Amino acid sequence: MDVRVTDGIAGLVEPDRVHRSVYADPAIFDLEMERIFGRAWIYVGHESQVPNPGDYHQALIGRQSVFMVRAPEGGVHVLFNRCAHKGAKLVAFPDGNVGKFIRCPFHGWNFKCDGSLHSVPVREGYQGTRFDPGDPEFSVRRVPRQASYRGFVFASLAADGPDLESFLGGIKTSLDNFCDRAPEGEVEVAGGVFRVWQHSNWKIFFENLNDTSHPMVTHESSVNAARARYKAMNGEAKMPFKLLIIEGNGEPYEFWDKLEMVAYDHGHSYMGAIFVPPTDPVSLAHIETLKAAYGEARTQEILNIQRHNSIIYPSCSPHTSFQQLRVIRPIAVDRTMVEIYTFRLKGAPEALFQRAITYANVVNSPSSNVMPDDIEVYARCQQGLETEGGEWVSLHRDAGRDRPIAGGFVANGLSELPMRNQFRAWAQYMAVP
Amino acid sequence: MLDEVSAFLFHEARLLDTRRWHDWLKLFAEGGMYWAPLTFDQPDPINHASLFYEDALLREVRAQRLEEKRAWSQQPVTQAARIVGNIMLLPGQDGQIVVTSTFHMLEWRRHDQRMLGGQYTHHLKREAAGLRIALKRVDLINREDVQDTLETFL
Repeated sequence: MDVRVTDGIAGLVEPDRVHRSVYADPAIFDLEMERIFGRAWIYVGHESQVPNPGDYHQALIGRQSVFMVRAPEGGVHVLFNRCAHKGAKLVAFPDGNVGKFIRCPFHGWNFKCDGSLHSVPVREGYQGTRFDPGDPEFSVRRVPRQASYRGFVFASLAADGPDLESFLGGIKTSLDNFCDRAPEGEVEVAGGVFRVWQHSNWKIFFENLNDTSHPMVTHESSVNAARARYKAMNGEAKMPFKLLIIEGNGEPYEFWDKLEMVAYDHGHSYMGAIFVPPTDPVSLAHIETLKAAYGEARTQEILNIQRHNSIIYPSCSPHTSFQQLRVIRPIAVDRTMVEIYTFRLKGAPEALFQRAITYANVVNSPSSNVMPDDIEVYARCQQGLETEGGEWVSLHRDAGRDRPIAGGFVANGLSELPMRNQFRAWAQYMAVP
Repeated sequence: MLDEVSAFLFHEARLLDTRRWHDWLKLFAEGGMYWAPLTFDQPDPINHASLFYEDALLREVRAQRLEEKRAWSQQPVTQAARIVGNIMLLPGQDGQIVVTSTFHMLEWRRHDQRMLGGQYTHHLKREAAGLRIALKRVDLINREDVQDTLETFL
């Protein structure tokens, strides 16, 4: 397979198919770490995860361990998790507080929350040496670029490139709608994080996030189980929420095809949903708080934007209607870690947040009845793609029929447009040495 | 009492090891809950995500899915063997018996064998049919770690 890499990356991606090596070849994974994760804006975390001075949150940008930390002056800084002295990792927990300074556990060098060196023990020993506290070499390195959009913090390991808003392009509207659904216009991370292993390449999951022709097949077991339990409840007119969110995967192809698939440059996309005026008390109470904050017309505008998964390629996927954000971290060519965060919409009734927790438990927990069948088929793809049973992966559904819009394309719900769109971005990143 | 409660816990473990889900479901009292917290200091299951937080309805969905022909991730099915020990009675409230125990659970599916373990806390009620579970709480020792899927009941 290495032959193809040396032949050039361009040959691996065609408009309607991709070569299996993009999922299976460790050399390509190495190159992705450099050319995609070394360049794109990667999601680090949400500002609400570090509310107080010294609070930190760890993240991975490609293979780089970084953390964002709240400075006493209020700003958030994204730093490499490496001491400028001997190289030890500075913070240990996924989330924590560094105190007043970031103190290395090895020799006690102290850094300010912007990474700059504050003090070293027995300073005299450095007199007359090349040690210079003003030289950035002796500070914790900052990521070359960081920016945040409505509280969502991203970083890029490349000094040059499009700014965050140009990078996000049209998918910005998903983050906007996420926040607009809060009567106070802001969201915050709450209720813990699930972390789940996938034994498959990271791109398999990204493709699945907007794959509308898998639910009725992959999820047959949980759909059947939910339907049977509902049937056994005979007499109950409405399906309970916790069954509904499992059973929804059983919708027929016609249902999915009617949804709108929208794809933007840089690999982003979303899957539209149909707005059905809710009748349940939790949604109704939420809508009342929106009307009080925004008025009738604006509230309707906000609710008219209904989306299933949005994709912010190549690092995260918000689900705005159930306040979830999945963060995707490639670990190896055949191993991916997914983090699932739940958000509280500030100013919305607490019952709405509790419903999002129920959604997380039922759909996104490692114990989910829905997810294991996904993770199983992803692993089977990985295993199949490592064989010589075929060279290409098909992206043909509705190929050639994507309709151009400003900054992207739109297609019918069953179209594999999002996958073709991801590989369009992938090829662009990978083509540049 | 300790003997009776121990026998109950061994019986429960046996039902789960042998995948007799529906017999296991019957061990719960009405309104009984099955809860596995996600963090070491998790205050409650309502305002915080949990590894499991299941009422009778969700337990039934899980039991049924595990037996579905097209549960792809159960080809082959998960096998497990549990050891339950260090059983201790704690002061109970409202007539409930509270019992803690330590469990080791060896689990296998296809090429992977893994070891899960932690503490069980059972809140038991005495009913006409015998002891019934008002709450089964499972504190996995690695609950804050990255997880592979947890498909069966712990």
